[in-house]
Amino acid sequence: MKRKLIFFATIAVLLGHSIAIAKVDLVILPKRDTVQLTIYNSADLTLVREQRALTLKSGHNRLQFSWANTLIDPTSLDMLPTMHADKIDILDLAFPPRVRNLGLWHVQSQISGIVPVEITYLTSGLSWRAFYMGTLSTDEKIMRLQGYVRVSNTSGEDYEDAQVRMIVGKINLIDQIADLARRQHPYGRPGPPPAAAIPQVAEAEAVMPKAKRALERAEKIMLAKPKEIRKEGLSEYFLYSIEGTETIPHGWSKRLPSFEVHEIPVVNLYKYEEERYGNQVIRFLSFKNDKDHKLGDTPIPGGTMKVYRNVSESAHLSYEGRSSFKYIPVDEDVELSLGSVANVIVKPTLMDYKTDQYLFHNNGNISGWDEIRDFEIETKNTRDIPVKVEIRRNFKTKSWDITKTGDFGVYEKVDLDTVKFTLMLGAHEVKKFHYILTTHHGRRAD
Amino acid sequence: MTRKSYLNITFTIGVALLFLATPLHARIKMVALPERGDATIRLDNPQATLIQEERILTLQKGLNNVDFSWKGVSIDADSIRLAVLTHSDKVTLISVSYPPHEAALVWEIYSEEAFEVAVRISYLLSNIDRLITYKGVADKEETRMNLKSFLVLRNFSGENFEDVSVLLDHGQSFKQTISHEETKQLLFLNKDTVPIEKFWTFDARKLPWDPEKLDSNVGIPVTYRIKNVETAGLGKFALLGGKVRVFQEDGHKSTIFLGEDSTSLVPVGENMEIYIGDSRDIVVTQHKMRDTPINVRRNRKNQVVLYDTDEVIKAAIENFKDKQAMLTMVQHIPGQWDMEECNVQYKRIDAYTLEFEIALPTHSKKELIMHYHRRNVSDRRK
Repeated sequence: MKRKLIFFATIAVLLGHSIAIAKVDLVILPKRDTVQLTIYNSADLTLVREQRALTLKSGHNRLQFSWANTLIDPTSLDMLPTMHADKIDILDLAFPPRVRNLGLWHVQSQISGIVPVEITYLTSGLSWRAFYMGTLSTDEKIMRLQGYVRVSNTSGEDYEDAQVRMIVGKINLIDQIADLARRQHPYGRPGPPPAAAIPQVAEAEAVMPKAKRALERAEKIMLAKPKEIRKEGLSEYFLYSIEGTETIPHGWSKRLPSFEVHEIPVVNLYKYEEERYGNQVIRFLSFKNDKDHKLGDTPIPGGTMKVYRNVSESAHLSYEGRSSFKYIPVDEDVELSLGSVANVIVKPTLMDYKTDQYLFHNNGNISGWDEIRDFEIETKNTRDIPVKVEIRRNFKTKSWDITKTGDFGVYEKVDLDTVKFTLMLGAHEVKKFHYILTTHHGRRAD
Repeated sequence: MTRKSYLNITFTIGVALLFLATPLHARIKMVALPERGDATIRLDNPQATLIQEERILTLQKGLNNVDFSWKGVSIDADSIRLAVLTHSDKVTLISVSYPPHEAALVWEIYSEEAFEVAVRISYLLSNIDRLITYKGVADKEETRMNLKSFLVLRNFSGENFEDVSVLLDHGQSFKQTISHEETKQLLFLNKDTVPIEKFWTFDARKLPWDPEKLDSNVGIPVTYRIKNVETAGLGKFALLGGKVRVFQEDGHKSTIFLGEDSTSLVPVGENMEIYIGDSRDIVVTQHKMRDTPINVRRNRKNQVVLYDTDEVIKAAIENFKDKQAMLTMVQHIPGQWDMEECNVQYKRIDAYTLEFEIALPTHSKKELIMHYHRRNVSDRRK
């Protein structure tokens, strides 16, 4: 942080009206006391909040803040005194001419002495993402779920001893912070916009030794005790706050454990829907983000998950597949797709086709008819464990009737041209059922 | 405003000689620059910035040529006006001339006597304007907000302005100094505890119906509403259009950024609506469950000329939040229709648009079922 963000407090002299003079009247260089990073995952955006103790003189003060080689959005800069707020008047924030990455606050103070202030701004270049590891029991009835977050810093800044918070949620942005950071003039200029000059963020190599030491120090502290992550809902978002502080140098990432839950009951769900998946059966792991499943305290941020399975007493694992999933609210059902499989088979076969119920025009032509199809659905579970199978059938018309034969399963109308059959199959079990679909055409559909 | 603050606009006055025939001779700059009085930058029109400056002219009896020229700045020459403020009954503006190949004009002024007169010169100056930005910090309960508005002055006009009056379309003018290529951000509105309303909107025409089939979450847009009325601590003047950034107190003496939107001008009595982001904890799944022809009428050739469709829409609305929410659901039924049955009260927005206000308790699930008939006229009726 100290590398590029520089903050000077300058006190204006009586004759120093011009901005050029004011900028060389350096009086103190206040040290940053704390820094807090609130990092978003739906946008390239981080809210930075710093506490600094300024030494002000009674009267007019000029405070200079510069941020060369960073990705700070200067239009987001804000400063508030956290004490003596009624005695301190922030007159304006000026971005002087022909100087880049520099802001100048004009402050009128009624007091002389140390004044703590809070400076906030938005920056680009910090990000985080969630990822997960699931480990199924041998019988695939329960799963251990481990969540992690990975925080990356390509902002151009070394953030030392920062409180790190992460936001889960989708915010509305009308400008990308990185674009605002690259503007030549903070608010642009009137008239057609000129081509933006792109500042080069300093190469990470130059700071690597120091950064590496800082990372190693932080990791040693981490190893002593896993950090807790506090989770709470705010507005439409979830805020994850990591215990203590973190040092994340520019160019580095850091992985942190988010949560670990043992023995989540899961259902092996297999889906078949020709229009969506082709002639393949897709395997899902199904559970719910609720108390019954030892979850449900917070939503689960979207991310990727690698699923393994315990295959022996000696804790050997098999890799079952990888799934990407979206944000899961509390109490929402979860279905993790693990891809197509061949060990559960769904085979629909057209067994009979005929037409019937013809209607005719006065001129003798056909004006309406029915088509009757008899389907056999064979489901086969070749696995050693019971599974749940969900079969969706889409009809190309909205005028239809269905007759089901067989003594198991139920069908549910999903929408006007889709039905869903749900079956439970035991280990190595085969089930067959028929359904007769009658579709109406021409005047028969009226 | 002192003279040296104007680097690129010059203003001279000369006395025309009777026999001077060419405009070039008439523009001999032989008289000292007139003293400048007050100057004002008017920013009330967001499309153009009007500069008004006052000067004292020392006029001779008879014809005077007053030369106004500029360099390195962009002035709309047709916008330049001269108003005589004193002795106006004895001073007559005869003509305005534009010299060739120059950014300048010459006023020909007839004065009945030799004296000093105060004049005001107005012109539209390019590349100087203002933006408005807002910063709102909502409380943790999202019922009230501290609302600040900033005026951002951008001066890329080529001129340095020192100690000029700056005027928006309301309120007092204020003195400000701003150099060429300088940008300044000034706080001009700061209201605490402004009431806010929060609402969620599902528009069936804009959002997918079946989120389960999508790889990404379908967010329900979340909007804050601020009323520009006196009871809200506002309502004194229109809120100018600009970018709004919204934050929220987090209960730990810090804030989070909720989102941003741009707002257009909000007149007194109207609402500012700020779309901050999407809720993924309210999920709407909508299906059409029935679409069947009924009441089919045929012509003598047995062709369908008129029929209705019997349609059923079913929407499941789930609130996974720890808080209750009020969802505004917008549904669209095209053409001629009659509602047969609907389990939720609605308001007709127009002939084809229905709006439902659905209160969603914490962790609840509700269902909307619309059963309606639509009339369909076949082209065969002809």
